[in-house]
Amino acid sequence: MSRQPETRNQKPETKLTRRALVAGLSTSAALLAQAPSVPLPSNPDEELKAVKDAIQQTSQQLAKFDLPMSTEPAVHFRA
Amino acid sequence: MAASIPDDIFFASITEINQKLKAKEFSAVELTKAFCARLEQLGPRYNALALGLRDKAVKAAKDVDGDLKRERYRGPLHGIPFGAKDLLAYAKHPTTWGAKPYAGQVFDYDATVLKRLIKGGAILTGKLAMVELAGGPSYRYASASLTGPGLNPWDPTHWSGGSSSGSGIAVAAGLVTYALGSETSGSILTPAAFCGVTGLRPTYGLVSRHGAMALSWTLDKIGPLCRSAEDCGLVLHEIAGADAEDPATAGKSFYYAPQFARDLKEVKVGFAPVDFAEWADPAARPDFAKAIETVRSLGVQLVETKLPEFPYGPVIGTIISSEASSIFEPLIQSGNVDQLADQKQIAGLKAGLEIPAKDYLKAMRIRSLMQEGLRTLLDDIDVLLAPSRLAPAPKITQPLDRPSSDRPTPKERGLTALIPAGNLAGLPALSLPCGFADGMPIAIQLVGRPFSENLLLTLGKFFQEKTDWHKRRPALSEPRA
Repeated sequence: MSRQPETRNQKPETKLTRRALVAGLSTSAALLAQAPSVPLPSNPDEELKAVKDAIQQTSQQLAKFDLPMSTEPAVHFRA
Repeated sequence: MAASIPDDIFFASITEINQKLKAKEFSAVELTKAFCARLEQLGPRYNALALGLRDKAVKAAKDVDGDLKRERYRGPLHGIPFGAKDLLAYAKHPTTWGAKPYAGQVFDYDATVLKRLIKGGAILTGKLAMVELAGGPSYRYASASLTGPGLNPWDPTHWSGGSSSGSGIAVAAGLVTYALGSETSGSILTPAAFCGVTGLRPTYGLVSRHGAMALSWTLDKIGPLCRSAEDCGLVLHEIAGADAEDPATAGKSFYYAPQFARDLKEVKVGFAPVDFAEWADPAARPDFAKAIETVRSLGVQLVETKLPEFPYGPVIGTIISSEASSIFEPLIQSGNVDQLADQKQIAGLKAGLEIPAKDYLKAMRIRSLMQEGLRTLLDDIDVLLAPSRLAPAPKITQPLDRPSSDRPTPKERGLTALIPAGNLAGLPALSLPCGFADGMPIAIQLVGRPFSENLLLTLGKFFQEKTDWHKRRPALSEPRA
């Protein structure tokens, strides 16, 4: 959720509404979601390595996705 | 089987059975004994039964008969046999979560959803099998379960779908009238679609998860698998509502009220032709095409649409893996995780502990934008329509994390990521049987705005008044001698 005030470093013209931002997101995101095809692991060690490799690839895909600083995570804490 | 209960009753709707109980065509005890016998006899054949509850069920049925004798009616579920996925706590009975390390686990309290159904006079006849730990971060084979692979009643060489495998099987085979399942990402819609039954994934927070195994706190939902959309409405009516024991409940109730449905001419339904014409399995396309026309014939406005572009797969994968590995950290650290049946699940849980906080938070921040994107899409469109699954149930030996065909990938994504997208945004979904492909059931899903279950159920009810897919029954193999 976006409750943060704009930071001083932000240029006025970069101020986007969340709706406009969503509408303008790159179509390259479709490519990010495609799972690579690899052979089936044959033992637990290979399996663990394959999962760790997949997590690493996912991490890289997430890193490529640009976000405005003001975007908060989709979690809520209620005191 | 009890001679006094005709076979049709095993496939009758909640309302039909309720009327027959009231008319005293049979007693609740006769009904319960007949369903228990069928569940005990056929459930193991399809790896659907985790635990039979005959003694408690018959005792509860005697109470129902006492109520009926005095003309005390507790609601439409009064006296109706049902089953519950074995991730729901039922006091003093084993709750295995479908996983060997938890085979001896017993709680001393009931899950809120079970309490609510039992209070309404429903009869719990059995705990139903499931994929271990509701699938955890991921799994490769249908055999990822303490009870073995869920075998599809339409053809036992095919998978039932998961993780609510026993729930889908038990409803399809007439072993219970309805069942509770749970969904983190596809675990109600998939078995409902593969088994040819109707499944409802409620809005996140509408139904309490207290007493349910947690897989992902921000994604888990509990919902019914039934014979019809109407039955789903009746069950949701009973189980929905705020619960102080589950801080994620939204404080909203649900009243099933199809009589107050909007004029369908005002309802805009969005779909992506590419889903049905290019992404779908070729054998499924003819019945999918007919399903679109049936929806059109309801009088709604059909418009073309597509999902906003986001990395739905990486985001939901990161969130489930991070939350599941945190939840099951004691299992992982103890080494007992190695007792699980599926090597990919074991590896996924171990590796999930190493996902950095920055990745989890990045996924949750992208999720905020996804919710906004879907909210924008659903500003103009009331309901999204897509295949529940693009192909019918795979063979039980097929790796589930590998493509089942080498067909070229279409350029447009359409609504193909609707299961992860809908779950990430907490949206309700209804899966409706809509035909067959290569002899196995296929289904469409309707997805709406948060808390729009009545609209989805009304559309589903009208769809099922024009079709009979939900009334088809599998030819079950004969019970063992």
